[in-house]
Parts: sequence; C-alpha cells; structure tokens
Amino acid sequence: MITPEHEQAAEGFNAGEVIIGHVSNTAHDQAIIHLPTLFGIDFSITKHVLMIWLMAAFVFITVTWAVRKRLKNDTLVPTGFGNALEAVVQYIRDAIVLPNVGPKYLQVWTPLILTFFFFIVSCNAMGLIPLFDILGVLDRFLFHTEHHSMLNHIIHGGTTATGNYNVTAGLAVVTFFAIIIAGSRAHGFLGHWKNLVPHGLAWWVYIILIPIEIVAMFVKPFALTMRLAANMTGGHVAILVILSFVFIFTGLFHSALAGIGVGALVSVPLAVGISALEIIVVLVQAYVFTLLSAVFIGMAINVHH
Amino acid sequence: MKPDPNTLGDSFRFLQKIVREAGPAASASYTLLAAVLLLGGIGYVLDRHYETAPVLLLIGILLGLVVGFYELAKTIFRKP
Repeated sequence: MITPEHEQAAEGFNAGEVIIGHVSNTAHDQAIIHLPTLFGIDFSITKHVLMIWLMAAFVFITVTWAVRKRLKNDTLVPTGFGNALEAVVQYIRDAIVLPNVGPKYLQVWTPLILTFFFFIVSCNAMGLIPLFDILGVLDRFLFHTEHHSMLNHIIHGGTTATGNYNVTAGLAVVTFFAIIIAGSRAHGFLGHWKNLVPHGLAWWVYIILIPIEIVAMFVKPFALTMRLAANMTGGHVAILVILSFVFIFTGLFHSALAGIGVGALVSVPLAVGISALEIIVVLVQAYVFTLLSAVFIGMAINVHH
Repeated sequence: MKPDPNTLGDSFRFLQKIVREAGPAASASYTLLAAVLLLGGIGYVLDRHYETAPVLLLIGILLGLVVGFYELAKTIFRKP
C-alpha cells in the first residue's frame, strides 16, 4: 500500500547520492573492521577489500577443487566444471598468450595471465549477483539489526571490486612489473632498458624518444586501470540511473502511480536490457585486460623496431 | 535448419584470428587515450596547485598526444 509518507520519501530522493552509495566503496568511518592507520595508509577493511578477499578465496577454492578432482580421476577427458575450466584455460593459452608472448616463454607467463582472467571475471561477475541485496532485504524485514551493526556495514557499498580504481591500479602494477621482468628475463636487465628505444638513430632523436618511452611505460598500466574500472562502474551507474527514474517521477508528479508506470514501462525493461549487456561487458573487460597484459608482456619479449 | 558444424568451427577460428590480430591495435588505441588522460590530468592537478590554469593542462594534453601518437606509429610501423 502506498501511503502519503512513501510519496514524501520519494520527494526527498537524491539520485546522485543513492547511486554513488551503491557503486562506491564504503566510507572509511563505516568500515567493516576498523584497523589503525600505518604510514598514512588506512588499513581498515572496507566492502571492496572484503570482496577482493572473497573472490580470491572463491577462485582459489573452485579451481583447486576442479584440478584435484581431475587429477584423481585417471580418465584423460575431464567432466563437468573441470571440462569448462579446461576449455577456458586452453583458449587463453592458445589464443591470448601464445600469439603475443611466443612459444619460448609460454609456460612462464600463462599462469599470470590466467590468474588475471579468473580473478577479474569473478570480481566483475560478483557485481551482477545481488547476493548482498538479498541480505539487505532479509535484514530489513527479518533480522532488523541496528544501524551500526556489522551486517549493516557489509550490506552497504558497491560489490564490484574491479569498479574501484585502487583495485584495478593494483592489478595494473602487477602488469607493470611483469613487463619489466619479462623484458629482463628475455634480454637481460640492461638489455630490456636499451630495447625501449630503437637502435642506431641520431643522438638528438634519443633526447626526444627517451622521455616519451618513459611516459609510455607508465601510460600502459594507466590505460588498463582506467578502462577496467570505468567500464565496470559505468554499467552499474547506467542501471541505477534508469531505475531511479521510478523515484524521480514519483516525486515529480506527486503520485506513486507515475513512478510505477515509468518503472513498468521504461525503467525495468531498459534495466533488464542493460543487465544483459553487462554480462557481455563482464567477460569482454576481463578478456581485454588479459589480452592487453599479454600484448604488453609480449612487446617486452619480442622487440621489433 | 541445423548449422553446419564445419561452418561454425570455421567462423569461430576466424573470430579467434581477428581477435588475435586486434590485440596490438587495441593496445595502441587505449594507450593514445590514456596518455592524453594521464598527462592532461597531471597538468590539471599542477595547474590547480600553482594557479597557472590553463597552461599546464594544455601542455599536458599536447604531450599526451605526442606520446599516444608515437605509440600508435610504433604499432603501425612494427615489422610483422
């Protein structure tokens, strides 16, 4: 039943604030577990930190379980989940790592690229599974915990850890060092740095080229950082904006019926469509991150000028 | 009508080939964009700090273009 209080609540609806609250990390004063600040870094465990740990544990447990199950059976053909896993692993090895990195260092860099792919794809996908929203509904109608309970803090904040620039920057830092290590392993430490610029040019060209190459070295991981986080946040923001039309129209026309009409005719069908797109985005963004990491590592190993 | 398994397999292999060859192109385009964003952003922050707007922002964007296009050129003129 829609009461005047509901309509009043809709009028005070601030779409921007609600959307930011749903996609961003929890504020530091609302952290799930408070930890002291060391060296100017707040070590408190927020929602995104929790999500990283959960997804890392999830990937570790499921992949280990599938591989162990496969090793225990003597058959050559894996079944069920193991089969699907093997298909993905083989695809990434043969279609992403092999053409970019080359056969010599294939076994060295495939594990890193695979780890990237599975971690990013599960972090991205977690953002589409409304696990914490269901928990929120249960809390609202069943548990009735108080406002500052731990459960309440776990419910709030975005669930897509890869939508946080700090998380993707962390992943890109791994790529940054992987590029340097790959180049150093293939050409020696000094050889890698010499390979950054083409050989045999006039001396004044190097004055221009060396700074450009140094900047380019940092730009590549930056591209990875921004692309992944922006894409993951963007889709969620689009869905939330479309769904908040319901509340905006309710407030605008002072009638819950207007909100329900807009919701049924426009918002929900559109949101469903964008959610379907998001499923593709989840896979494509994880794929692009791994592909670009493989390309960058390959560029450090197979140097052509 | 059931799709011919050979056609499906061929299409998938073709898709794989295209995706594989698109890797360097994707990296060059993202590098171009990120270079402008990163250096422009650094310019913007320095502008706010030293109150020299918009000189450093413009220099940053220009430098970003130079770096981005250099990387693009490197990808294009790369020997296969």
